Formats: sequence, C-alpha cells, structure tokens
Amino acid sequence: MSEKRTWLERLANRFFAIPTVAQLWAKRTAGRTEGLVDLSGGIPFARLTKPLHECKVALLTTGGVHLPEQPPFDMDNPDGDATYRAIPTDTPPERITITHKYYDHSDADADLNVIFPLDHFRSLVQTGVLGSLASHHFGFMGHIEGEQVTILNERTAPEVAAKLRADGVDFAFLTPA
Amino acid sequence: MGLIARAIEQIGIPTVSISITKDLTEAVGIPRAIFVKWPLGHPLGERGHAVQQKTMIFDALCLLREAEEAGIIREPGYRWRRETYAEPDFTQLR
Repeated sequence: MSEKRTWLERLANRFFAIPTVAQLWAKRTAGRTEGLVDLSGGIPFARLTKPLHECKVALLTTGGVHLPEQPPFDMDNPDGDATYRAIPTDTPPERITITHKYYDHSDADADLNVIFPLDHFRSLVQTGVLGSLASHHFGFMGHIEGEQVTILNERTAPEVAAKLRADGVDFAFLTPA
Repeated sequence: MGLIARAIEQIGIPTVSISITKDLTEAVGIPRAIFVKWPLGHPLGERGHAVQQKTMIFDALCLLREAEEAGIIREPGYRWRRETYAEPDFTQLR
C-alpha cells in the first residue's frame, strides 16, 4: 500500500518537476495515446447554461487525493490505477491525503490548494460568485496506461459522470497531477 | 484527466481543466483548458500563493463562460515563480 519510491523514482520526480522536462514527457506520451483513445467523434462539448452564481460545482483531480480511511491508489501496477475516491464536500482539507508516486506532491501535501482547491471554491460559494458545491468531489490517479485506460474510459469515468449528473452538478473543474 | 473531462462533457455537463502538459492535452482532445508551463504537481501554482491559485481559477471560470466551441486551450503565459499577480476581481463574473 505504500508509495515507497526507489531512488530512481525519486530522481525521476525531481527531473519531472522541471517544466521543460514535463513538456517533453507530455509530447512522448501524447504520441502513444493513439489507439487507446477513440477521438473519431471529435471533442465533446456542453455549453454552460446558467450564470456562475447559480451553478453547483464539482472538483476532480488526477493528483491521487483520497481520505485516509479509503484504500490508497495501487502503486504496484505499472499501468496505474483507474479507480476513484469520492471526497465528501465538507471534508477538512487537512484530512485529505495523497497517494501518487509519479510526481512530487510535497507542495500539495503542504498546501492542498496547489492541486485540489477546495478552500478557494468554498470561499467562492460564500461570496456568492458560485452557487454551491457538489455533495462529493472525486480523486483519481493520473499516470495510467494500457488496460487501465480502457477501465477509465469504459467504467470509472462514465460512472463518475453519472454521479455528477445525479447530484445536479452544473460544471466540473479538473486539475491534473 | 482529459479522458475524464470528455466523459463528463459527453453526458452534457460542461468542464474546465487546468493543463500543465500541452501536447498530451491536445492529443486527448480536452473540451476546455488553461495551459501553463509549470512543473508537474502544481496546476494552481506555488504552495501558499493564494492570489496565484485564485488567478488560475478566475481564468478557468472566464474560459468556461466564454468558450463557444470545443477544444480551446488558453495560454495566459504565466512564468513559473517569476510572475506578479493581482487579486482577481471575481465580481466581474457575476
């Protein structure tokens, strides 16, 4: 269950923390998405139909957030882990933990807003900029490949989308790792 | 992340995302994103820098309201650790 890193993984984390390196990695990974993602239907698009102050908002991140009592993301499968964890909206940020060995989350551990800005969105609701927050937000782990991409596309992502709809969510705000 | 955004948008719920990996975001075909060339693990910026983090949220909400078509990736061009931010005026969004 631990996300104990090897010295090589620790080195990789530091290396990927350099913005230019992250871009090169993205370029390489982008070249491999072919076949894993069906883009034939174009990019889906839904228009925002309400003013922001009437909107119910859900936050989603692939930064590996979850509650301590929830099972951590699988760090042993080299293809990653396409499952998700539901975070109740009233969770104090300091209770949220991160399991994700593929990026350096020390800054996000110290200030969750860096990756999962629940505090800022709460203030936006309090000041009337946004209507309300969803009953649950969702933590995923990015860095998935192979069969885990299929699981995400066919099961877990549509499942979360349906939960958002059942909750009456008007838009979702997504952040990567 | 882009794949999750697509699944949500597919059932009619709009999404707005932050991207720090442009090529990947373009390859996946994300509905809307704000791209910043920042290190992995910092989509909203530096730890403890609330004004910077709120600026990213403000930009994302603007894009969400203004986007007229799929696949817009807006690039505000904020430099990592070398940018000065002003408190965003969220009342503009009312």
